[in-house]
Amino acid sequence: MGEKWVLMKTAQTPTNIAVIKYWGKRDETLILPVNDSISVTLDPAHLCTTTTVAVSPAFQQDRMWLNGKEISLSGGRYQNCLREIRKRAREVEDKEKGIKIEKKDWEQLHLHIASYNNFPTAAGLASSAAGFACLVFALAKLMNVEEDESQLSAIARQGSGSACRSLFGGFVKWIMGKEEDGSDSLAVQLVDEKHWDDLFIIIAVVSSRQKETSSTSGMRESVETSLLLQHRAKEVVPKRTIQMEEAIKSRDFASFAKLTCADSNQFHAVCLDTSPPIFYMNDTSHRIISHVEKWNRSEGSPQVAYTFDAGPNAVLIARNRKAAAQLLQRLLFSFPPNSDTDLDSYIIGDKTILQDAGLEGMKDVEALSPPPENSSAQKYPGDVNYFICTRPGKGPILLSNETLALLDPVTGVPK
Amino acid sequence: MGEKWVLMKTAQTPTNIAVIKYWGKRDETLILPVNDSISVTLDPAHLCTTTTVAVSPAFQQDRMWLNGKEIPLSGGRYQNCLREIRKRAREVEDKEKGIKIEKKDWEKLHLHIASYNNFPTAAGLASSAAGFACLVFALAKLMNVEEDESQLSAIARQGSGSACRSLFGGFVKWIMGKEEDGSDSLAVQLVDEKHWDDLFIIIAVVSSRQKETSSTSGMRESVETSLLLQHRAKEVVPKRTVQMEEAIKNRDFASFAKLTCADSNQFHAVCLDTSPPIFYMNDTSHRIISHVEKWNRSEGSPQVAYTFDAGPNAVLIARDRKAAAQLLQRLLFSFPPKSDTDLDSYIIGDKTILQDAGVEGLKDVEALSPPPENGSAQKYPGDVDYFICTRPGKGPILLSNEKLALLDPETGLPK
Repeated sequence: MGEKWVLMKTAQTPTNIAVIKYWGKRDETLILPVNDSISVTLDPAHLCTTTTVAVSPAFQQDRMWLNGKEISLSGGRYQNCLREIRKRAREVEDKEKGIKIEKKDWEQLHLHIASYNNFPTAAGLASSAAGFACLVFALAKLMNVEEDESQLSAIARQGSGSACRSLFGGFVKWIMGKEEDGSDSLAVQLVDEKHWDDLFIIIAVVSSRQKETSSTSGMRESVETSLLLQHRAKEVVPKRTIQMEEAIKSRDFASFAKLTCADSNQFHAVCLDTSPPIFYMNDTSHRIISHVEKWNRSEGSPQVAYTFDAGPNAVLIARNRKAAAQLLQRLLFSFPPNSDTDLDSYIIGDKTILQDAGLEGMKDVEALSPPPENSSAQKYPGDVNYFICTRPGKGPILLSNETLALLDPVTGVPK
Repeated sequence: MGEKWVLMKTAQTPTNIAVIKYWGKRDETLILPVNDSISVTLDPAHLCTTTTVAVSPAFQQDRMWLNGKEIPLSGGRYQNCLREIRKRAREVEDKEKGIKIEKKDWEKLHLHIASYNNFPTAAGLASSAAGFACLVFALAKLMNVEEDESQLSAIARQGSGSACRSLFGGFVKWIMGKEEDGSDSLAVQLVDEKHWDDLFIIIAVVSSRQKETSSTSGMRESVETSLLLQHRAKEVVPKRTVQMEEAIKNRDFASFAKLTCADSNQFHAVCLDTSPPIFYMNDTSHRIISHVEKWNRSEGSPQVAYTFDAGPNAVLIARDRKAAAQLLQRLLFSFPPKSDTDLDSYIIGDKTILQDAGVEGLKDVEALSPPPENGSAQKYPGDVDYFICTRPGKGPILLSNEKLALLDPETGLPK
């Protein structure tokens, strides 16, 4: 066996947004939640993590680079994932390169990992979910692990709870599980990304001038101090989860929207009921909600669902392209870019929606009228940093194109 | 009996701020709440309603003027109060003026009512609480009603729920009651205003650019749509009420502060859990909370309790003058007046605290340093409209000085 060979795999994983929220653990180490959660996977074409994992006898220690910067793997979460995936490593043979790794060899071999998010971490778009899912998926491929996505999700879960939901496309449910050891706390796919093809998602990345409370400490404080959290977990979420699954399976947008908005608001209500109180949404977030609520009510039937995670960003899910175009017009009216920003950097992702909305440049934005249901709507330029347009998307995939690898195939260090 | 005589009484009533919140009715007509509430009465020297009530055979109909403007008395709330107080009217004799009103005469006699708040309605400082309490108290005096303050509070309650708590000074509890007819839903005094003399209250009147959801419709929407409200009412508030009474009786500020802040946050959490969600607090409110939480934690023991009603105004209760002075310094540092405002209009009410804080003019404000626990605190000039400084205060009183009457003693019309 040559001492310097390098075996590599590169994977790409999507991120996901919860529509029934995970907030609160019953076990901090294993990351076991107090209730089920359901999410929609976002199209990795617009938001994804790419991870290259490499193994070589030449590597002296496990190392990881995130967005080009070396980071420490000593933390419990990384260690748990590495340990659990290594346990399941099997024999790997690359006949072309003349490499054979026995199951027992894996214990002695070290890994190099490079990961890259195509969206800013500061944008509060759940980069750890995509990150840990990608790490586990890529290592599973490298190590020829037999386990399926659900079983892999139970490993990714130990890196970051919501990561388990990024092992699938479409709509995904993280079953809370009952076992103490968390073996039954894993993700399953409810429907794939083609099931509800009409949906269009616009994310408003809202200017955030303050450091957010981290999800990990925030939800721990909520479990410890919110008198409403247990009631939510025991009484409200179980019923909502069933209704949400129904709504998704039936493509019942009215119910989907009602549940999504209610659950987002209740999650933030529990944050407010925490000591000290946690405010993730700000005035801009509230304004967006008010506008959407007004529009939905004026139309009689909901056009858009909103949901917010642990930050001020709005994730807006429109029932179809037509509603998405009308939503975009409303958003651009109320939240135009600062005068020195061009439209091309202000709306990113799936830009085809701009055509549907009749918006090709800044002149079209300036020409927008206030929406009929809110004729006294004011403008708040600069309150939104930019918008990302996307769709429900597919799950993790292996990238066979070697040019996309983040590590050099010879040295095993970042390119 | 002369046809033109006018009999008048003038009363002054304080307003109150709930520290255990009332939010949600079990009966809309009788205004019966889903849980107990507890409040602190504010010093009427700084915030009060003055009401003159007059009766005369010359009056053709019941009429009312609020802050100089005539308003209709046809609404259910006014009608309920007038009907209930009239039921209890007794014989009245003014020997000096040679006037005698038999009990049966009251049915046919009409009333003129003039009311004035010495604080703006737009300030969101619960003017209806003080208003209805004053109306009922003044009429009770005019009509020689026998009932005591608690029984009168059951009438004021039918005008505006929180009005019942303004029939007493100090700390007051509105017992939710069990009876269907609301006869046992009334206010009692827990302790008078001298019991906890150290407390000092600073109200930050926060700029509000939007029309608030009214309490009446807001709480109805919460009852109808919040899945957390019933849990709060049935499980949380009963325990908190007991703990709060204890804390008040023992002058246990640490417990008082913890409960007050928690209950304010939970009330707003329930508002957020409503469909559509209600946001009463804004970014400025949140900032004030964050600053207070930071300071409290840095001192080890709470210095200030905060509470917010159905609007963005912060009611800050400091444990003593020293803490109030330090609080005022912190508030003025973070929320200085705009450059065209003088200090005298920016801090109103009990201005003696300015001396304690060593702040006599704008120069002193500009010279303030950031607080030690928050060295990077930023300034937000203009985010607060003004501050009102006050103390716990006494209950309703009759004003014998005829100059203070709001109606002309001969015509019975506003002066």
